[in-house]
Amino acid sequence: MITIKNLKVSVEDKEILKGVNLDVKPGELHVIMGRNGTGKSTLANVLVGKEKYKVTNGTVCFNGENLLDMSPEDRACAGLFLSFQYPVAIPGVNNMYFLKAAVNAVRKSRGEEEIDAVDFLSMIREKLKMVALDESFIHRPVNDGFSGGEKKRNEILQMIALEPKLSILDETDSGLDIDALKIVAQGVNDFRSPERSFILITHYQRILNYMQPDYVHVLMNGKLVKSGTMELAKDLEEKGYSWIEKEMAEVG
Amino acid sequence: MSLSNYKVEFKKMLNRDYFSKSLHPFRKEAFSQLEKTGFPTRKWEEWRFTNISTISGGEYKISEIADAPQNPPNIDPYKMNGVESIVIYNGHFQKELSSVPDGVSLLSGLDYLERKNGKFDTANNSPFDLLNTAFADCGMCIVIEKDTQIELPIRILFISNGDRSIMVNPRVNIDVEESSSLTFIEQHVGDAVSFFQNESVFISLENSAQLNHIRIQSNSDFTQNMANINVNQDAESQYNFWQLVEGSKLSRSNICVQLNGKNAQCDLNSLVLSKKNQHIDNYIIVNHNSPQTHSSQFVKSILFDNSTGVFNGRTVVKENAQKITAHQTNKNLLLSKKANMNSNPQLEIYADDVKCSHGSTTGQIDEDALFYLQSRGINKMDAMELMVTGFANEVLDKIRHQEIKKVLHKEFTAKLNRLMS
Repeated sequence: MITIKNLKVSVEDKEILKGVNLDVKPGELHVIMGRNGTGKSTLANVLVGKEKYKVTNGTVCFNGENLLDMSPEDRACAGLFLSFQYPVAIPGVNNMYFLKAAVNAVRKSRGEEEIDAVDFLSMIREKLKMVALDESFIHRPVNDGFSGGEKKRNEILQMIALEPKLSILDETDSGLDIDALKIVAQGVNDFRSPERSFILITHYQRILNYMQPDYVHVLMNGKLVKSGTMELAKDLEEKGYSWIEKEMAEVG
Repeated sequence: MSLSNYKVEFKKMLNRDYFSKSLHPFRKEAFSQLEKTGFPTRKWEEWRFTNISTISGGEYKISEIADAPQNPPNIDPYKMNGVESIVIYNGHFQKELSSVPDGVSLLSGLDYLERKNGKFDTANNSPFDLLNTAFADCGMCIVIEKDTQIELPIRILFISNGDRSIMVNPRVNIDVEESSSLTFIEQHVGDAVSFFQNESVFISLENSAQLNHIRIQSNSDFTQNMANINVNQDAESQYNFWQLVEGSKLSRSNICVQLNGKNAQCDLNSLVLSKKNQHIDNYIIVNHNSPQTHSSQFVKSILFDNSTGVFNGRTVVKENAQKITAHQTNKNLLLSKKANMNSNPQLEIYADDVKCSHGSTTGQIDEDALFYLQSRGINKMDAMELMVTGFANEVLDKIRHQEIKKVLHKEFTAKLNRLMS
């Protein structure tokens, strides 16, 4: 699905990612954990092509294509999706209108016919149920006046409407109460399939109670320093990160 | 700047026998007042950002019979379903194309003067109202009698065409009597190569009267436009103003609302779409003369190319005007590095128990929002258009008439589409 090799990224001349290697295969769910400021969001943003993140080294291969050469919209059309940590509000732009434009842009790129308003509405009604949102929600401006939980659920709604191959969820669990967390986790679980992959970025082991990751990685000082399974997440929850630092120092 | 050209035209005007002689004293009085004040210059505080030398130094001619159309003009391009229209072409009333809804009384200028006990409104001697009084050559006096709800909107379609540099001074009086309501649309269109329109509208709303006033200015990019809108509101009356300005080379709306009775309420909305070297100015004054009055100003400008714009909103709360609410919002979107906007929201408050707010923002397109849309597969141009439309929608959605809202949404999108492609 995606192969990241020795990826180095700078923001405003400061190196944040210092050689990240990651290989995600179809159907897998990878979790990336780490302290604040270790570069988790940088990794997410650079993959979707946010301009201020400068790639200084390395390659990213997404389903056989060089991802780093593509525009943000082409990446989305190729099947990459990021659930933003802080989704922006766009006053005046109707959520439904936006979703329809996005779905049709992606369909068009796949050579499929554009979906009309009637079919779109019945399609989106089904998806709304999956994230437990009522219909009035799609007639509001994009993320404008949404609560934190609503914003995150709107991200998941977009994900299941756009049907990406690889979804990156950047702290989608942060700031959610337990009910909202369950809804989001359920939305993702229902969406999992042998063809779809996920990279979940999180601070907490909490959401992993509702999901089954294949791999757990620790991002520290711009590198993925340790990989494991669910057990690793549990260790981190219990012991924090300092033992890994120590381990690193001993090896180093 | 001397008024020499206007003096010549004024003499011509007085000699045209199709204008009633009984109004001449008012015209002469207004013109001599204008000679005293002169046209505004940029030294006048309220004209600081708008240069009108093309008007004050212009050589505009009064509209002659020859400027009227030989055959009825084609108004199909401006068709609007479910409205009754009055058509005025280069200042000439097109009777055969005009009709008004039942219950609407149209008065002649003289009858209207009688109704006002011989008092002719010149709006505190503002130069362009004076010019209008001196040269008034077309327009309408619309009276809605007590307890009458006019469902069908009434529209005046102003068409300006030709290359003879004519000047037209429409004068519209609208009186909505107690507990009555009306939707009034003025639409300005045409392909004039050189043209100056100086329009004055006088609106009087009696107790509990309601007027929805929609103004669409989409005449040619070579015209000079002044719109002087004066509103007087009694208790419990409601004035909803909505305008789109996208035509004209130079355009200024001078809007002045007097809230004279308890619970009088005005809601003023303006959407500007400017391009090339257009200059579009919204100058708004709202006077809270009575306690418990409410006002809102909501003005948005979208500026392309090297166009320039002005928002000047002034809300004055008189000493005794307690428990009023007043809001001013001005938001501007600059779509070019060369575009320029001057925004000046002002509150003058002399009462102590009031609820007022004002705010102004001017900026480029929000890059984060743009990226958000792109990251969902929407290409950059479409994403931009979606955002600009979204910016405009906040104003467009305030149109209270559903049919007209639909028409204007469509028209606006088409105009924007052309500008962005």
